[in-house]
Amino acid sequence: MIDDDNFLERLRADARQLRFEPDAMMSSRIAARVRERIAAEPQAGIAQILARWFRPAVASLATLALVATLGIQWAEQSHDTTTLDSMVPTQSVDISVGGDTFSVE
Amino acid sequence: MSTTSMFGGAAAGSLAFDRLVFGVEKAPTRSATNEDPIEARAIAAVKAGDAASYDYLVSKYMKRVVSIAWGVVRNAADAEDLAQEAFVKAFESIGRFKTGEPFGPWIYRIVTNLGLDVMKHRKRFRHEEITDAAPAERRDRTDLPAISNELAARIDSGIESLPEMQRLVARLYLVEELGHSEIAAITGLSEGTVRSHLSLARGKLKEKLADLHGGSND
Repeated sequence: MIDDDNFLERLRADARQLRFEPDAMMSSRIAARVRERIAAEPQAGIAQILARWFRPAVASLATLALVATLGIQWAEQSHDTTTLDSMVPTQSVDISVGGDTFSVE
Repeated sequence: MSTTSMFGGAAAGSLAFDRLVFGVEKAPTRSATNEDPIEARAIAAVKAGDAASYDYLVSKYMKRVVSIAWGVVRNAADAEDLAQEAFVKAFESIGRFKTGEPFGPWIYRIVTNLGLDVMKHRKRFRHEEITDAAPAERRDRTDLPAISNELAARIDSGIESLPEMQRLVARLYLVEELGHSEIAAITGLSEGTVRSHLSLARGKLKEKLADLHGGSND
């Protein structure tokens, strides 16, 4: 009895002849049509080249703009934020009790 | 367009034009890096806009691409169309191709996917009543003179009787002689899944071809 690996290897050797070989005519036809179709799209090529350069540039600028906007907004918000210290009165308060006046800071 | 115009005139002076001969295909590289410097230069040139350099890639991979296409659709005319479509599609998306990697697995993957799409389309829009004899219609043995002997015919019939993915993996392994990793790259399956499909296919083929290779499934 033949083992699994040997079986596959022998089958592989025999199956090699099942490979389809295109003749010269078919190969020429395919190559010609490919070339024809490639040549028929020069404008798309230019568009692709432009897109290749512009897409990353636009993406980078958009990211920078977004980061800048968020940064400014955050800075403004943090500037306006009322802190506990700012709520403490800076001037002293005078309290009169029984004719005496006390100053509380 | 004639062959002369295809490779003449505008193509003169392009990269590696002198190497544009059919039959230069060699066994595909098993590593992930491109070991063919001419191929690497051709890819770089095509990426830079030199479409004529694409001729080298087309001629180098022509035979294998057509053979893989034929293995999926089993029809010479469809295989020709598929190969053409695959080369054009690869050219159009060459910008996304990773520099330094071999072109082979990439174009094989494109043509395999296109072939599987065609098969799905055929199944979906087949108006005829599906009978047991239907799979035989897929065979176009007049295209393949090699299947003239009994042995080849039996092996071909055995492979054809397998379920779709096992058939694809078995054909790529046995007929195209590709390795597990290459088949995984082409089909998008993991190497483990490829081995699993191949193991199942081997079991079934061993049963069917027991008298040819003296195997049995026990």
